[in-house]
Parts: sequence; structure tokens; C-alpha cells
Amino acid sequence: MIKANVIEAARSLMSAKQRTFLALLGIVIGIGSVIAMVSVGTFVKEEALRQFTDMGTDVIRVRQDYGEGKGGGGVMSGPGGLHLSDIDKIPAECPEIGEIAPYIAVYGALRYHGRQMPAPALGVTSSFGRLFRLPVTEGRFVSDLDRYMSFCVVGPEVAAAMRQAGAKKLIGEKLTFKQRIFTVVGVTPKVPVGSMRPYEINDGIFIPITTASRFPDRPQIDDITARMVPRGRAAVAVAQLRSFFANNVPSFRPRVTSAEELIAKMEKQMQLFTLLLAAIGSISLIVGGVGVMNVMLVSVSERRKEIGIRRALGASKRDIQSQFLVESMILCFMGGIFGIGLGLGSSYLIAHFSKWTFSISYDAILIGFCVSAAVGVFFGFFPARQAARLNPIEALRSE
Amino acid sequence: MMLELQDIYKSYALGAVRVEVLNGVNLRVDAGEFVSVIGSSGCGKSTLMHIIGFLDTPTSGEYVFEGRKTAAFMDEELCQIRNRKIGFVFQQFHLLPRLSALENICLPLVYRNQPEATNEKIARQVLDRVGMAGREMFRPGELSGGQQQRIAIARALAASPSLILADEPTGALDSQTGQEIMNLFLELNREGITVLIITHDPKIAGQCKRVVRMQDGTLREA
Ligand SMILES: Nc1ncnc2c1ncn2[C@@H]1O[C@H](COP(=O)(O)OP(=O)(O)OP(=O)(O)O)[C@@H](O)[C@H]1O
Ligand SMILES: [Mg+2]
Repeated sequence: MIKANVIEAARSLMSAKQRTFLALLGIVIGIGSVIAMVSVGTFVKEEALRQFTDMGTDVIRVRQDYGEGKGGGGVMSGPGGLHLSDIDKIPAECPEIGEIAPYIAVYGALRYHGRQMPAPALGVTSSFGRLFRLPVTEGRFVSDLDRYMSFCVVGPEVAAAMRQAGAKKLIGEKLTFKQRIFTVVGVTPKVPVGSMRPYEINDGIFIPITTASRFPDRPQIDDITARMVPRGRAAVAVAQLRSFFANNVPSFRPRVTSAEELIAKMEKQMQLFTLLLAAIGSISLIVGGVGVMNVMLVSVSERRKEIGIRRALGASKRDIQSQFLVESMILCFMGGIFGIGLGLGSSYLIAHFSKWTFSISYDAILIGFCVSAAVGVFFGFFPARQAARLNPIEALRSE
Repeated sequence: MMLELQDIYKSYALGAVRVEVLNGVNLRVDAGEFVSVIGSSGCGKSTLMHIIGFLDTPTSGEYVFEGRKTAAFMDEELCQIRNRKIGFVFQQFHLLPRLSALENICLPLVYRNQPEATNEKIARQVLDRVGMAGREMFRPGELSGGQQQRIAIARALAASPSLILADEPTGALDSQTGQEIMNLFLELNREGITVLIITHDPKIAGQCKRVVRMQDGTLREA
């Protein structure tokens, strides 16, 4: 019976190709957009969380809190920066903190072989490489022994630009940044960045922090990342850091954020985002479902006579109902298959152009199949019931 | 006894007006009979046949089928009877145009839960029985009217019914083809199937063992 229904439904769908195609189109777009939306939501979330899978979640970021016009003196003359000597005391005074990595970001133009590109330079200590888990593909990372030397490590973007400019071997090449000549001693690869790992890691170069603080505009250290001791508790570590700054550097107003807090906040945002995407997808799915219902209603009214004949030959209401239900389910299932293809395809393109990592979300595929079957049943139910309720004689009489 | 109608009334409500179609029909048909129903157009012959075939229910009166009162039957039960006991043949054949001859014949069998191979075997047998062997894959549109009616009769036969109800089965055919179809019915009746046939054609009615005339909503032996 099921097999006969499936064959019959397939045949009936085939016999009205144009109508079937239009109904399919609606459902394909509906399922496709649900899949695309769910996939994109997953990509964005994974992208945002990827830095933590690299870096671990036992990190804490401390930044200068510039606030909004707090105090009388304006922003510039407000809070002061930090001295390396202060920072070095942190691990000793905060038992939950294992290692710290302060950095200074300096912005300027980079010159290489007559080419110029805007690029940031990060003044870092050797702990920066360890803490941010930065691998080095060539040479070495910045060392504490570099002191005031003009050595630099180039990030992936700059490395690519240099290679484009004709550099074969990057180590030993000379770059000019803010009128100073730097010798390349290492190269780092592209890594996931985000709210914990600054984007400058991929876009710029690394120089010794002491060298950076000597630039004419005297940049200050106002950003520190710390890693806790093994099994450290984030809340305790945050409290220890706060009291450290209050006691030792009262002029510095710290904003302390743990990775845990960041992730929690991000997940909350993602939930909202995913909900929004799902809502958009669902609306197009409903539109597609209504299209299916419409096509099924037409199919029922076109086949009144057939329904009458089948009823006369012994088909029960249930038989008729399941015949039309199977038809709408096949329609939606086919739509689901194409829709999953469309959804994956378009999410691949979105990922490609947004430079996100594409991955096939099996959840999305499962959702696609379940939802398409559900749409088939839900929007097929009303037309099928209408078919089943037709009076056999009236149905037989109709042309 | 095949069936018995006792004081059957049927009326339709057309707006505020009630159209009385059947006004106390009494009919008893024994197993193996060949009965034809005649009467002027619009007198209610088809209505009667629909009631006998469980496609419609009377407004009042008792309908006994194979010794059982049918008034309380539910839809499922009516479907079972239509499917296994009754074979319908219509003036306009009522074949499904999308299906082949063989598939059309299989239609009533599809609604029994039995293997497809069995259905096909039965269908081939009855196709042969109505002299249409070799036309299995023809669609109704590719067959003549007489051939289509043969397929429709084969479809009715496939269910191996005890009763065949035919509503003007020769009405759409020329007289020679009509006679061929009539011969088929006569043959089936000789094999033991009860046949009830509605006709306008006196030549057809003349070949039946028993003729009843419908007039003013009642039946009378003619
Ligand atoms: N659904 C309905 N609603 C109202 N009146 C109906 C309905 N069905 C049938 N009738 C009326 O019942 C009467 C009998 O119809 P029926 O089809 O049984 O006649 P018939 O004897 O088969 O005629 P014919 O020989 O032309 O086929 C007609 O007057 C018709 O108008
Ligand atoms: Mg009639």
C-alpha cells in the first residue's frame, strides 16, 4: 500500500511537472534558507570561539577602562599607563595568575622595497608568544634578550605582502616602520583572532615591547593578558588582579574580563543571533509550505473524479488521505533534498566570502530532513483531509 | 438472497425545496439473477444504484445486503463491501487516464493488503477473460469506447464480486459494440455473478431474465 502510494504520488507529481516544479521551488528556498541560516550561525559561533580552542579558556584580559568622560580632565590627561616593573610583580602578588603578557599596539606605515602599507606593530615580550599560543613557521619569536634591538617578527599578512614584493627568504630582510629599520627574525602563521586575541596578530608585526615604548609618541602599556595557574579559578583571579591594581597602580583603571565571561556573553549573543536567523529561515519555509498546500489543494480539486472512482472501488477515507499526504511528503522531501543542497551551497559561498571556515553541519541536514517531512505532513494534511471528505458520488459526477 | 430494499426513500434538499427521488422502493434480488432497471431520464435510477452500491445512503428504509442490515455500517465497512462484493461499471467507463489498462484493473486490488504479484496475476486473468489480452500497457485514451468498457468490466471482475452494478454500460457505445458488452454480462451471469443493469435500450432490457421499471419514485416489475 505504501509502495503503491509512493509510485502513484510520484506519477501524479510527474504528470503536472510545472506545478510540481513551482511547489518544489518554494520548499527548496524555504529549506535552503533554514539550512543556510543555521549553518551561518554555526560558522559565526565557531569562528568566535576558535581563538579559545587555540588559546585555552584559562586566560584573562586586563585593559585600561577609559570610560566615558569620567573625571574632569578629559580623556587624554586621564588615567596613566603601566610600567613593566609594575607588571612583572603581578604573578608574585596574584597567586592565581601564572603568566602575563603585556603589549603595546603602535600604528604606522610599513615600508618594504619601496612599497608602503599601513600596518600595526605589537610591542610584546617573549611570554606573548607562549600565552597567545602563537606558532612560529620560520626563525624565532621575540625574545626578552632583544631588549631595545630593532628586530621584528612578521605576521601572515605582512609576510604575504613581502613575498609578493619578491622576497624569497624573509629572515634577515629589512623593513622600515616609523622611520626605524627592523630586521626580520621570525614569521608567524595565520591564527584565529577575536575579542581575546587582537587582530593585529595577523595583520601586523611584532617588536620587543621595550623598543615599542621608545617610539617618539611614548606609547603606554594598557593591555595585559594573563594566564591562570593550572586549575585556577577565574573569579578569584579577577578579584586578585583588581586589588593588585588598586593597591599598586591607583592611576590605572582596569577592566578585567575572563575568557569564561567572554564566552558566556558571546554565547548569549549567539543565541539571539541564531534565533533571529532561524526566524528568517522559518518565514520562508512557511511561505514554501503554503505553496505546497496550494498545489495540493489544486491537485485535489483537479482529481475529484479520480477520488470518486477510487472511493467507488473500495478506497477508504484513510486510503485517500494517505495518498495525498504521501504526495505532499514526497514533494517536500524532494524539496528538502534540493534545499539542503542549496543551503549548503549558499552557506559555503557565504563562508568563502566572509573568510570563515566552512563545515557541513550535520545538525542542519538533520533539521532540514525533519523539517521538510514535517512541512509535508503539516501543509499536506488539510488538502488530504479535504480529499478524504469528498462525497464519493459528487466526486464521481465532477468533470 | 442477494439484497433486499424495503420501503426506501431518498430525497435531496435543494435550498428550501425537498426533491423526493425515491418514494418507497421495494426490491428483492436473489443471487444469480440478471435484472435490468428501466425508466425515464431523471427518475432516480442512478440514485437507486448508488444506494445499492453503498455509495449513498437512503433517507429512510431498510437495506439488507447478503442477509445483514446495513443501516449502521460505518465508512470502513462500506468500503470493504464496495471493494470485495460489488463491481461497478459506468456509462463513462471512469478509467484513470494516467494508468495503463493493467493498472486500472488492479485499482480495487490495491486497497487489499496483498502482494503486488498476486494483483497482477488476477488482473491478467480478467483482462484475458474480457478478450483484451495484449492491451495491458495501453492507456484508456489509446483504446476505443468498447475496449475501454471491457477494461472497466475487467476492473469490476478483478475484485471477484458477487454483484455487478452497471449504470447504462452500453449508453456510450454503438449498438453492435453494446451488444458485445451485453454478451459479456450475460456470460458473467451464467458463471453465477448477480448482475443489475440500468439501461434505456429496450433491446438490452429484452435480454434480461427480469426487468423492473422505475416510475414516480417506485419500482414495478415490467
Ligand atoms: N445531489 C443531488 N442534489 C439534488 N438533486 C439530485 C442530486 N442527485 C440527483 N438529484 C436529482 O435526483 C433525480 C434523479 O437523478 P438520477 O441521476 O438518479 O436519475 P436517472 O434516473 O439516473 O437519470 P438518467 O437516466 O438521465 O441517468 C434527478 O431529478 C436529479 O436532479
Ligand atoms: Mg443515471
